[in-house]
Amino acid sequence: MVAVRFHGRGGQGAKTASRILGTAAFVSGYVAQDSPIYGAERRGAPVAAFTRFGRDPIRERGAIAHPDVLVVADASLLDDAAAHVLDGVTGQTVLFVNSSLSADRLRTHLTLPEHVTTRDVTGVALQQLGAREAISALLGAVAARVVGLEWEPVRSAIDRELRDLGLAEPVLERNLTAARLCYDSVEPARLPQGAVQAVGAASLHHPAYEPPTKGTARIAAAGNSVLRETGGWRTFRPVLVADRCNGCWLCFAYCPDGVISMNREDRPVVDYAHCKGCQICVHECPTHALIAEREQEGGVAWTAK
Amino acid sequence: MWQRETFKKIKQIPREEHVLPGTALCAGCGGLEALRLAAKVLGDHVVYVNAAGCFTMLAAYPYSSFKGSWLYTTMGSAPAGAQGIRDALDVLIAKGRVPKDEDVKVIVLGGDGSTYDMALSSTSGAMNRKLDFYYICYDNEAYGNTGMQLSPATPFAARTATSPCSLQHPGATQEKKDIFEIWRAHRPPYIATVAPRYPLDLAEKFARAAAYTGPKMFLALSACPTGWGYDPGATPEVAKLAVETGLWPLKEAVNGVVTHTYIPKRKPVEAYLQLQGRFRHLFEPTVHTEAIRHIQGQVDAYWRQAIQEQA
Amino acid sequence: MDSQMMTGNLAAAWGARLADVDYIPAFPITPQTEIVETLATWCERGELAARFVSMDSEHSMMTAAGAAEVTGARVFTATSSQGLLHAFEVLYSISGWRAPLVLVNVSRALAAPITLESDHNDVLAARDAGFLQIHAETCQEVLDSILMAYRIAEDERVMLPVIVNLDGFTLSFTREPVTVPDPDSVRRFLPPFRPFHLGFTASSPHALGVAVIGGTTYAYFRHQVHLASRNALEVHRETAESFHALFGRRYDLVEGYRLDDAEDVLVMTNAGASTGKAAVDAARARGKRVGLLRLRVIRPWPADAIRQALRGRRAVAVLDQNLAPGQGGILYQEVAACLYHETARPRALCSFVGGLGGQQLSDGAFQAVFEQTAEAGISGTGRGPVLLYSAEEHREMTQLQMVAAGSVRREM
Repeated sequence: MVAVRFHGRGGQGAKTASRILGTAAFVSGYVAQDSPIYGAERRGAPVAAFTRFGRDPIRERGAIAHPDVLVVADASLLDDAAAHVLDGVTGQTVLFVNSSLSADRLRTHLTLPEHVTTRDVTGVALQQLGAREAISALLGAVAARVVGLEWEPVRSAIDRELRDLGLAEPVLERNLTAARLCYDSVEPARLPQGAVQAVGAASLHHPAYEPPTKGTARIAAAGNSVLRETGGWRTFRPVLVADRCNGCWLCFAYCPDGVISMNREDRPVVDYAHCKGCQICVHECPTHALIAEREQEGGVAWTAK
Repeated sequence: MWQRETFKKIKQIPREEHVLPGTALCAGCGGLEALRLAAKVLGDHVVYVNAAGCFTMLAAYPYSSFKGSWLYTTMGSAPAGAQGIRDALDVLIAKGRVPKDEDVKVIVLGGDGSTYDMALSSTSGAMNRKLDFYYICYDNEAYGNTGMQLSPATPFAARTATSPCSLQHPGATQEKKDIFEIWRAHRPPYIATVAPRYPLDLAEKFARAAAYTGPKMFLALSACPTGWGYDPGATPEVAKLAVETGLWPLKEAVNGVVTHTYIPKRKPVEAYLQLQGRFRHLFEPTVHTEAIRHIQGQVDAYWRQAIQEQA
Repeated sequence: MDSQMMTGNLAAAWGARLADVDYIPAFPITPQTEIVETLATWCERGELAARFVSMDSEHSMMTAAGAAEVTGARVFTATSSQGLLHAFEVLYSISGWRAPLVLVNVSRALAAPITLESDHNDVLAARDAGFLQIHAETCQEVLDSILMAYRIAEDERVMLPVIVNLDGFTLSFTREPVTVPDPDSVRRFLPPFRPFHLGFTASSPHALGVAVIGGTTYAYFRHQVHLASRNALEVHRETAESFHALFGRRYDLVEGYRLDDAEDVLVMTNAGASTGKAAVDAARARGKRVGLLRLRVIRPWPADAIRQALRGRRAVAVLDQNLAPGQGGILYQEVAACLYHETARPRALCSFVGGLGGQQLSDGAFQAVFEQTAEAGISGTGRGPVLLYSAEEHREMTQLQMVAAGSVRREM
């Protein structure tokens, strides 16, 4: 059995990618299974999805703790502790990261397994689809290639899954073209199959009674959500071109997350640790003093508009 | 002529934040935009009583976005939760067990699913009992937290996950339930509609409401990039067009007397509809002139009457 | 201390009054309504310094009750049957909030078919909600149990809500002598409610009942409710001793009746146990060595006390006034489970279901129970679930069916 775990951000299409891989494996004649983590995920929040396939009936269900292949839809997730991207990864895990940076460049600040491939899938999406989100077909195609599936079942799986989502014919065509580019850009990997990890019996803990101050779902630390950074959600960051700003406060007024404050000179200061990159400020700035720059690991790479 | 008295200039919007970042809500959430602005007027001496909905994620263990207090209740009974808290505070203050200066404002947060459907009876009860509280409905015109299903707040012809083929779907040919008028029939002292794209109008209304004891009801347009199908950055633009086409009237009702706080010049509704994926089927592959004309007709009829009454 | 004639409902109202509650959200439902009517009158007259508010449903009523409790008020409310089920999701919230209010449930059978009379499917449906449950046999016990319930609920080792159950009609509308404890002694018994973890105030904001993500967190908090409930076994013992010392009446987790030399034991709950005791007396008069065990505290489940009372008996019969369709009696299952590891467990365990929807159990029905239980004890084979339904009742039922079917016509 091959176990593939997808990590993405809500809206990027990790769930659909896992379905595309599942359908592609199924169409190829394998026994397959796919599932998302389902819950309160929002656009931008870390999500995960899972695909298993093999020749024999699949007895595992639920989350994949020890993936053979890990597909990461957004490199910022690697730095996001809440996403748990590298949980259960061993030296044998094959890792694919959507990033314009090389694996070695990522390794400068991350401990990664031996087999890491990176490709700028978002770049392909922007170029082919004109959109930065919903890269499910592209990720599904990459994953399918890495696990060694043929193009034809992959094409058919993308067609089925995206059609189910109600995509119009021209959009579907563009997705197929982009997916093929991504499929061709990677090589099948040698997968670490059959390695069963020895697991001992769990050491069970017996929680003791605690007073309701602690033993209840109660938060006394009011306003502590600031401890949770959401800056990693961004694909684009708002950047101030200071000499264009007329100090009108509109960006401050419209920011849903309250991450723009006005300094003494009435210039906006963006809290990048929390800015989700919705770009409302960029859209609404009457003097175009706030511009969107594409977010990259390790720094701002290029300007979109 | 309605005039703002407290909030005349944008720079009067308080700098302090009361709903802190790090939330799990979608980027570009119009509901959060409204709540953030409202909280700037309401302050920190508050307890939010939440009904199940998108805002549930604003307090998810171990993190809370509020400097004030929070109680998650159920989808159908947040106003009853507000009743219990308000009554308990009144009793405890009267009995000297809570000092008067420790009192807090009680504020219900409910989405349109809760407000228009399941919690309507408990809201009606709270208004009927003249409960002294605020009610903020963040209206994104569908059951949003479950993935955009049809609600009674869904406008005519909008596509949702449970009205996928909305022109034929019996549900989606419903008109949006007029919750403002349902509320008004209860004669609470203050009701207002707001849209966060009009922050001064919004802040002014929360400031005016503070003068009244009893139910203070707010219906906040909550443009939803995820559910309505537009780019998150366009949230204010969508909200603006909702107001400028006349689809979302900005108004208040003080002791039942309605005043429109902004009279739009009324752009054609297409300008608003065309921006959003949920209405795309009205324009592609063919234009559904009848449906669009129907929507325009409803808006025109509303304003004909509104202007007549105001005159 | 003078006693006076009062109904179970009035006794329940007295319990709330003596507990000096702060807040009473209410909604009418038969056979509970008299409780909230009485409390409304007392609040109106100023005899009880509580705020009484008429709510729009039991769902709202329970939400308001829980919300007021977590704001720091001592809360009382009451409901029954359909009302309890209408409020059902809120019950789980209240225990999760650790809000130690007291809810009186006046047992009434559940629709469909709709009816007014008593059985225990309503209260037992709430057995997993995280509320403690005390089931009363007499009007006196209703009053006393409410006072005990507040003290147990508000103990820092527990901090859970309590349901005090009384049977509709046979207690709710039945008058018998009740001693009303004097308020000064009650104040000594029940300290003022000053919860350290509750209250929404300007200077100490907190978020309660928040969402959790993932099973690790959920399992921990819900398990804490379990541990708190288990703590209530010891807290009940202490409370019962203190209550006995002050008021002279003693309540244990379970009550044994003529158990000392009993070969066979009948297990019952609530007001029906009175009839059961009479049946034991009648059987004793016929020379049968039988006794009765009344389960008073249902949550936490008093497994040790039950085992102790039932070990070494020849046979045990559990008479459930409830029915879990497809399974049988609810309490039978729980009794059976706690006897499994008892080495001296009874030779036979029998399950009887009777008294559904207020069905009267005749002396003959009890006699049948004792006979079948004795046979089971001798043969070593348990039986049931057996529905206690007489041939006469069946004939009556058949007549009604004929009328309903149109087979009986009026003579023209």
